[in-house]
Amino acid sequence: MNLQDHIKLYNEAVFDSDRDRALKVVHDAVAQGVSPEDVVFEMVLPTMNLMIKAVSEDFNANLAQHFLTARIADAVTAEMIPKFKKLPEMVGRVVIGTAWGDLHTLGKRIVIGCLKARMIDVIDLGVNVPAERFVDEAVAREAPVIGISALMIHTATGENGCRKVRQILQERKLEDSIKIIVGGAPFRFHPQIFKTVGADTWAADAVTAGKVIEDLLQEARR
Amino acid sequence: MITGMDRLTAAIRGETADRIPVFCNLLDQGARELGMSPQEYYARGEHVAEGQIRMLRKFGHDNVWSLSYVGKEAELLGCRKIAYAKDGPPNVEDFVIHTPADIGKLTVPDDVLAHPMFAEVRKCLDILRREVGGRNPICAYITSTMTLPTLLMGMEKWMELLFLGPAEMRDALLAKCHDFFVKEVSAYRRSGADVVVYSNPFGSTDIVPMKFFMAQSLPWIERDLRAIGTNGVVYYCGMARMNQVIETVFDHTGIGAYYVSPLDDLAEAKRIIGGRGLTCGVINDIKLIDWSEADVRQEVRRILEAGMPGGRFLFGTGVMPLAIPEANIRAMLEEAYEFGSQKREMNR
Repeated sequence: MNLQDHIKLYNEAVFDSDRDRALKVVHDAVAQGVSPEDVVFEMVLPTMNLMIKAVSEDFNANLAQHFLTARIADAVTAEMIPKFKKLPEMVGRVVIGTAWGDLHTLGKRIVIGCLKARMIDVIDLGVNVPAERFVDEAVAREAPVIGISALMIHTATGENGCRKVRQILQERKLEDSIKIIVGGAPFRFHPQIFKTVGADTWAADAVTAGKVIEDLLQEARR
Repeated sequence: MITGMDRLTAAIRGETADRIPVFCNLLDQGARELGMSPQEYYARGEHVAEGQIRMLRKFGHDNVWSLSYVGKEAELLGCRKIAYAKDGPPNVEDFVIHTPADIGKLTVPDDVLAHPMFAEVRKCLDILRREVGGRNPICAYITSTMTLPTLLMGMEKWMELLFLGPAEMRDALLAKCHDFFVKEVSAYRRSGADVVVYSNPFGSTDIVPMKFFMAQSLPWIERDLRAIGTNGVVYYCGMARMNQVIETVFDHTGIGAYYVSPLDDLAEAKRIIGGRGLTCGVINDIKLIDWSEADVRQEVRRILEAGMPGGRFLFGTGVMPLAIPEANIRAMLEEAYEFGSQKREMNR
């Protein structure tokens, strides 16, 4: 089997949300001489991008598919990176957490799995994160992107969530150097509210969020 | 005088009334109306009942809720920590299940009706039944077997167990959740609830793949409905879309009412359900927070134009966020009453 065959089998397994089959495809590929670098950059990442394309085209991908895509990507990346010939160059760093008052972890977890496969260093601040901490950690860790996840309307739009993060960035004159991305169900039901809460951008789903954050980080490097 | 119950009954039967039934889900607004903190408000059944009755008098919609907050179900199963917010609904703060061993220890109460954590719900229902029973449909929000674990262990951990196993642990938890589900529905019905909103995001293909829905979700839906019957049951996927599964759910369970997602194509939902059941057209109430009153009225008309032809239609909301201005609530309801009445010939 050549690389294209392995890619095809991996795609099928991921789109079927079959973690065990996807991991077997990866292990078979490595056993047959596919490099760990190719596994991550030719199999894992392109499949994730295909998932984003599927979502944007027919809106037919579902939460379980995203969850499992991220889990598979996270597991494969963690296994492959130590086997790379040289450590990969990181794209950048992001601090991420759920908004103050919000205890939901799933969306954040999916985003983190996708970011790791994109060679992005993730600082996970956990749940129920105060606005000050988002900013303090972004400054301390030199992260140009803050990711805020919120599943409930009052945590997405409330005064202690993204709005306060924006206010602190303004007060500390950090708006040019640190960008905010938000995500979560309320933003899907009302795609304009990312602006009213002061975010720079948003993503409609957690897999897409990985790509949007990567783009923000690439921009910050310019 | 025509009551909310008359309107609902007429819509279910495909008959006409003075206007279509309108369900407006104002929960946390009750606390604000009574000038109480959410914690104080939800601590007593009489507060919640009073809040619901005041909402009814103030806005004139058709339904009331026995629901205090979704986390109540977790409390009935052992949760002891609820997080209260001043600007949003209470939420489960500490899950009942942290480890696999906790699944084994999970105890389903023999009689939910007699459970101390149900006492205030029961008190609320007693008052609602006495004050508006028979005139306004009393709704109960019941989380389905397959969705209940999210309240007990969190969505992330439940997705892990559901999709990655171990299967025997997953099945053991589902069996307990089903046992609780059946007992909970019985408790609500015995206390006077007329409408059972069967909440099941895992019954939507926005959440799970169709293959999984057919293999796992549907059998549990069938089992749930076989146990409680379809009387007064409304299929609801927690605002996730359902058009892809309505036909299947109808064929396999006979559920006669569908609370369609605002993200679904309502006209398509109506076509699928046809004259067999009640289509509930639901407004995207998050947008009510910052829409103008004109925007609100226009959206209500759009929904009614899509849903009313052929009759058997109800207009509804999600769980209305507290941040929605009262003027927009009034604009939405006035338009629904007016347009839902003027166009009643479309119901025929």
